[in-house]
Amino acid sequence: MAIPKEIIRVSDAVWEIPRTYKEGMRVPGRIVATEKLLADFDDGAIDQLTNVAMLPGIVGYAYCMPDGHWGYGFPIGGLAAMDAGDGVISPGGIGFDVNCGMRLCLTNLSYEEIRPRLRELVDGLYERVPAGVGATGFVRMTRDEFRTVVERGARWCVKNGLGWEEDLERTEEAGCIAGADAAKISEKAIDRGYKQIGTLGSGNHYLEIQVAHRENVFDVELAKAFGITMPDQVVIMFHCGSRGFGHQVATDYLQVFLKVMDKKYGIRIVDRELACAPFRSPEGQDYFAAMKCAVNMSFVNRQVILHRIREVFSDVFGKDPTELGMHQVYDVAHNTAKLERHRVGDGERELLVHRKGATRAFGPGMAGLPEVYRSTGQPVIIGGSMETGSYLLAGVEGADSTYYTTAHGSGRTMSRTAARKRWHGRRLQEDMEARGIYVRTATWAGLAEEAGAAYKDIDEVIEATELAGISRRVAKLSPVGNVKG
Amino acid sequence: MDAIKARTPIGLITGSLGSGKTTLLRKILGQADRRYAVLMNEFGELPIDIEVIRGTNVEIAELVGGCVCCSLTGELEAAVEEILDRVHPEYILLEATGIAEADALVFEVEEKIPRVRLDSVVCVVDTDASIRFPSIGYAGRSQLRAADIVLINKIDLVTEAEIEMVVAQIREFNPGAAVLKTVRCAADVCVLFGLAIENRVRDIPVHGEGTFGSFAYAASALLDESRFREAVSLLPPSVFRAKGFVLFHDGGRLFNYVAGRAELEEFPAGGTELVFIGPKVEQDREAIGELLRGCEVR
Repeated sequence: MAIPKEIIRVSDAVWEIPRTYKEGMRVPGRIVATEKLLADFDDGAIDQLTNVAMLPGIVGYAYCMPDGHWGYGFPIGGLAAMDAGDGVISPGGIGFDVNCGMRLCLTNLSYEEIRPRLRELVDGLYERVPAGVGATGFVRMTRDEFRTVVERGARWCVKNGLGWEEDLERTEEAGCIAGADAAKISEKAIDRGYKQIGTLGSGNHYLEIQVAHRENVFDVELAKAFGITMPDQVVIMFHCGSRGFGHQVATDYLQVFLKVMDKKYGIRIVDRELACAPFRSPEGQDYFAAMKCAVNMSFVNRQVILHRIREVFSDVFGKDPTELGMHQVYDVAHNTAKLERHRVGDGERELLVHRKGATRAFGPGMAGLPEVYRSTGQPVIIGGSMETGSYLLAGVEGADSTYYTTAHGSGRTMSRTAARKRWHGRRLQEDMEARGIYVRTATWAGLAEEAGAAYKDIDEVIEATELAGISRRVAKLSPVGNVKG
Repeated sequence: MDAIKARTPIGLITGSLGSGKTTLLRKILGQADRRYAVLMNEFGELPIDIEVIRGTNVEIAELVGGCVCCSLTGELEAAVEEILDRVHPEYILLEATGIAEADALVFEVEEKIPRVRLDSVVCVVDTDASIRFPSIGYAGRSQLRAADIVLINKIDLVTEAEIEMVVAQIREFNPGAAVLKTVRCAADVCVLFGLAIENRVRDIPVHGEGTFGSFAYAASALLDESRFREAVSLLPPSVFRAKGFVLFHDGGRLFNYVAGRAELEEFPAGGTELVFIGPKVEQDREAIGELLRGCEVR
């Protein structure tokens, strides 16, 4: 299957697949992409996008972001807003790694200052932030404490000395999404989660020391508002999620939904990976409350990791993290479903916005943004491949067509297995080191999965989001040290 | 001198949520002719004895009849090593979760766990669900593509024409896989995991496929390795599985063949003894015999 011939160009970087393309589509499908990205777009993702367009209650369009590719049920990079009254909720539209997301932390150090200590920093981070599949964290808690933690979110960390008060307001949902109910999660999910707080995980999860080179700052004013004020300033970006916990929550409810979807609610879908339930049904509400526990667990995880990062920098430089200017810029969530109000046609509607491998990008003035970013729009943290660099963007006005949503990364072009067969982790590490990027990894094969060439061109992805009017460039960040999960 | 010990075979069971993987495991354990270790994500519905031993990477529970069931708590690679050292199974069965990317799992087993040998990959397909959800998703495709054998299960819930539609769909993703039609996963262990085929040269009834036949081939002469490898690539599609020992001039090998995928492994075999199994495989007995005799070094 190639790109459907029915596809219509709507604007510079927005393409539409009409409802007539496939029987059962309730809304058209839309892809955000430059011409170049579209030419190589994953046809599996396009097929999935048009399946998503068939889900009951979907409003507007089924969207795929420019970094989109094939995923479980929805494409990764998928966006679908369901009517909060008669729409469905689907775990495949949220992802298994619930609220995997990005956090960005500043320093007042320059690249020159950290260069002699880079190995020490990366080795320290590698030791203090456990990585890999079965990694367990340093925060010890009982299963009952874990239940409390997933209901309270990152505030629990701050209360326990694992964060700063200001971190909370600089986190989506202030680090705690309301309505999380631990009574809705299984024992198995708790088993998988309660030892994992403070761990990176495996796959595409990583922690990176990056530099904002002067020539890579595209909007000096916005960069300044986000805290990037000096030449070659060092920042720390990391990507991780809810680990085995979120995975188990999704698996539990997929099984529930498969049982009731058709028999109880008469919902017919074409791909069982899109299993769903009416949002207002008891099963849908239970999953929503359980999923929120995973959202909170993930905020807690990133909060604890930030605390460890501050400790490592503080130890290496012999200064307090506040003296090192280690303020959090923001924390964004990738895999969520949230109730939001957006303009649809002439009115406003309450929508359940499924973002899977997509980032919320609120524009200036929107409710839900902290005071510091009220006039700038939301900071959007985009993780590129570990070789090619990442971006800091800002949300813009008028992005209501995508319900204020943009890309989340650069997007895979080949499977993990294909990448493992093609590259060798140890050699890749040597190559990267020769280019001034020091890497520590839990497994060589895991490193090979993340080779830069296994991803789309990040610059092109960012270009597409700007052309589509859903986010704008602030700065590009270049990696110098990396801990790979 | 220690005899070369053959690596422990490992069989993978994949399939979407609710397709019948646990049912299949129960059937296999019910017919168990060896000491199996079943490695799964969680114990689920298997009949577990009360005592569970907590290991570092697995929890191990004894089953009635000497087999063990292991629930994964750590990393796969380490868990398999732990099982090998602690319970010395003759065969490991790995049940993948319904959302697993099977190709990644196959890669993991083949490349990262040198002490086991991938024996066969069985994908369980829920035929009824395949009709209700005609579009095959991400995990589904990877499971079909990685399979040696596809068990199309729950065929009692659909029509003949629908079964054919499902088979055609499977063929789109994996033209080479052997396809078996079953109800409640009623398949012979020996067909799926090639166990003890050498002791069971007999007809095996397989639901919906008529009867599986088998025959043995033995040779006293040495076989030429390159000619043998070529002969294997020419085996007709009626051969579903083959297994046994081969003796080349530089020593013996353990031979394992599943639906087109062949493996030779060093093994102290004293001669060549092979068993072929498959639907109507006897019809090709002469031709296969001819192929093999062509490999004998005279």
